[in-house]
Amino acid sequence: MLARIVTAATFLLSLASTPLLAQQAGGTLVLIAQPEPPTLASYLSTSGPIGLVAPKIYNGLLDYDLDLNPIGELARDHQISDDGLTVTFQLEEGVLWHDGEPFTSEDVRFTIMEVLKQFHPRGPSSFREVSSIDTPDPLTAVFNLERPAPYMIRALSAYESPMVPKHLLEGKDIREADLASNPVGTGPFRFVEWKKGQYIRLDRNEDYWKEGYPLLDRIVARVIPDASTRTAAMENGEVHYGAFGAIPNVDVVRLREDESIGVTTDGYAMINPMALLEFDTTRPPFDSEAVRQAVSLVVDRQFLIDNIWFGYGKPATSALSSNYEPLGLYVATDNYPATPNVEAAVALLDEAGLAADADGVRASAVLDLIPYGEEWRRAGEYMKQALGDVGIELELRYEDVPTWLKRVYTDYDFAINMNYFYQLPDPVIGVHRHYSSDQIRQGTPFVNASRYSNPELDELLVAGSITEDEQERAGIYERVQGILAEDLPVVNLFEMQFLTVYNEKLKDHTVTATGPYSSFDRAYLEE
Amino acid sequence: MTLAARRVRYVLKRLLQAVPVVLAIVVVNFFLLQLAEGDAVDVLAGEAGSATPEYMAQLREKFGLDQPLVVQLAVYVKNMLMLDLGYSFRHDMPVAQLVLDRLVPTLLLMVCTILVAVGLGIVLGLLAASGLNTWRDNLISVFALVSYATPLFWVGLMMIVVFSLNLGWFPTSGMENVAMFHEGWDRVKDIAHHLVMPVITLSLFYLALYTRLMRASMLEQAGMDYVTTARAKGLTERRIVFVHILRNALLPVLTMAGVQIGALIGGSVIVESVFAWPGLGMLAFEALFARDLNLLLGIFLLSALLVVAINLVIDLLYSFLDPRIEVG
Repeated sequence: MLARIVTAATFLLSLASTPLLAQQAGGTLVLIAQPEPPTLASYLSTSGPIGLVAPKIYNGLLDYDLDLNPIGELARDHQISDDGLTVTFQLEEGVLWHDGEPFTSEDVRFTIMEVLKQFHPRGPSSFREVSSIDTPDPLTAVFNLERPAPYMIRALSAYESPMVPKHLLEGKDIREADLASNPVGTGPFRFVEWKKGQYIRLDRNEDYWKEGYPLLDRIVARVIPDASTRTAAMENGEVHYGAFGAIPNVDVVRLREDESIGVTTDGYAMINPMALLEFDTTRPPFDSEAVRQAVSLVVDRQFLIDNIWFGYGKPATSALSSNYEPLGLYVATDNYPATPNVEAAVALLDEAGLAADADGVRASAVLDLIPYGEEWRRAGEYMKQALGDVGIELELRYEDVPTWLKRVYTDYDFAINMNYFYQLPDPVIGVHRHYSSDQIRQGTPFVNASRYSNPELDELLVAGSITEDEQERAGIYERVQGILAEDLPVVNLFEMQFLTVYNEKLKDHTVTATGPYSSFDRAYLEE
Repeated sequence: MTLAARRVRYVLKRLLQAVPVVLAIVVVNFFLLQLAEGDAVDVLAGEAGSATPEYMAQLREKFGLDQPLVVQLAVYVKNMLMLDLGYSFRHDMPVAQLVLDRLVPTLLLMVCTILVAVGLGIVLGLLAASGLNTWRDNLISVFALVSYATPLFWVGLMMIVVFSLNLGWFPTSGMENVAMFHEGWDRVKDIAHHLVMPVITLSLFYLALYTRLMRASMLEQAGMDYVTTARAKGLTERRIVFVHILRNALLPVLTMAGVQIGALIGGSVIVESVFAWPGLGMLAFEALFARDLNLLLGIFLLSALLVVAINLVIDLLYSFLDPRIEVG
């Protein structure tokens, strides 16, 4: 009898210690980095391609599960005080930088106060309330805030706020540091080499602090400029993973029929891209609220989604994305119909005093298009037809990126600009910059170029950023969305759905809300 | 003065003449690039997601973009004369290093393309001319026409579809297999394997030109008096064609090749884009959209030097091919 128990126990023990057969270690993942990142300094730039590679090398304090709840990364636990003014992080033990030095709370303090708050595009606003960080011991970091900042806890992913090594950056010019081309982090993969124009190679970090991970041997980010070639490489199995529309939608429609290839829209909930129209609210004809409302009523949002983006997208129903619903901040408002209401639009235009001349033209303007791809040209062509039907004649303008950025954000030489903005994990980080009066900063891209200024809204936005209580915050943003639905300095068209196309052999790549911008430590290749 | 000494003096004279030419090219390019709206700081700020006006002003100061144009040009020319090609702020690397890294893949692609295009073009032209108006001639002429008329990117993509996706004989793109990291001889074979389709695609277009040119040139030479004389002397057809006509017919082809090699850096952008080949053409193309002026000027300089050198080599080759052409 005893012998049987011992045998059973031994058998059970051996089962418990055998790794799950489903997860296989080894293999090289080849992913697409399009366009090629300029550097790997994710602490200086939020450029998308950098985000595809850098979070494999650097870790953040937290990550977020698919329901947007914070889960521990370098900070295995955290507490926010009742008054919201103190946030304490307990850090993981035994974490080493890739050069062997230990990771401590001093690195956290240095990263936030000396690097992100100073140089990161969003750092100064994400960490605006952090007045100091205490480090009572190497595994504890205490953030002291001036006012509560409920959005800050959402800005701590490896992509948004990577932890960088104090011992390599202290005393140096952060912007010139060699770390940008030779990154050293705490992440599951070490930087090995970068052949410009070809690939970036990352090898497995043998001393990664998470036991048993990462599973992959190597990650290689390949640069392939031509869209059709990327599709061919995916079909051929030369490339296993392409995110952020690396494979054009038109090819996705064909590829998703292939059993060896999978497609998902998951993993972009912290990005929240919104396709929209920005207006110059200082000049006719778009200085009139009624005219802007008319434009919003005329656009066939569903048509855009179905025919130009091949079904991937959700019509906008408010100034905020519906992805904020788990946070309770989103509410659907009027003036964003999924299908057009032409009579109402015409009535509004008549009311605004824009009478049609002999040819039926009420007004004419130039529509600038974001030069990020062919779909935007098609969308522009559609807008020209749709607005032409109600008498607003549009001329399309499609330039290259620096010309477009300078024209719209520096010279303010535009009437309507078709664009897309990331609303990011919290409206304070991604949405306020579009509507707040203090964000009218000439020469700075992707802020309030409409020059819309509403003091009532400004007050609400400030309140929304310092209110901890979820109910109260929801009420504030309900009013914000109500005001913006009337004023419409920016007409939201639809919530974009970026696509991740992957080889079915690759598993566990989209297990957190950060998706393509996550560390891939749990990803593995099945044989 | 001996022929060799004359040649050497000629080369030196040409090299000296090249200096003001190259300088003029750089100056003109510098001003041309200024015509493009927006600058590198706009691009960096746009990519970073946002930037404060203060940061952008700081960057402009660091890049030297806030200086008046003439000062910027003077600084650049001064550096150039000291063989310092400047720094690419976008890539965070010296321009010289960026260009050097891409030089080998570019040369590989260019040299192989020229060898295939010129070599095969000469052979096909020869075959066509010697079998005038037979099915051989017609086949070759039609082939030349079709390959000239078909757009390069379409040919490239179709080759990928047929030979990579359907037949699986070649990889779709890139210079090497990034998942394998071959070493030594394996690496050479791997690169050669990746080189086949880009070279065929790029050379198809130029091949057509050389075929037609060679054919026309051969036919022109075949009608000359010296050929009749040679035949009267009793020389074999073979000797007439390969020793006499060929040497004379090659001259126009050589001229054409010289002109086109210079254009090859720019002309290869499409093939480099379709096949993800890490060459200078693609680097220049991207540098333009990123307004990376230092890098662009560096590539233009290299291109100008290359054209000057190639023209010199071609002129020297003439004198070897045809003793009637004197140098110096």
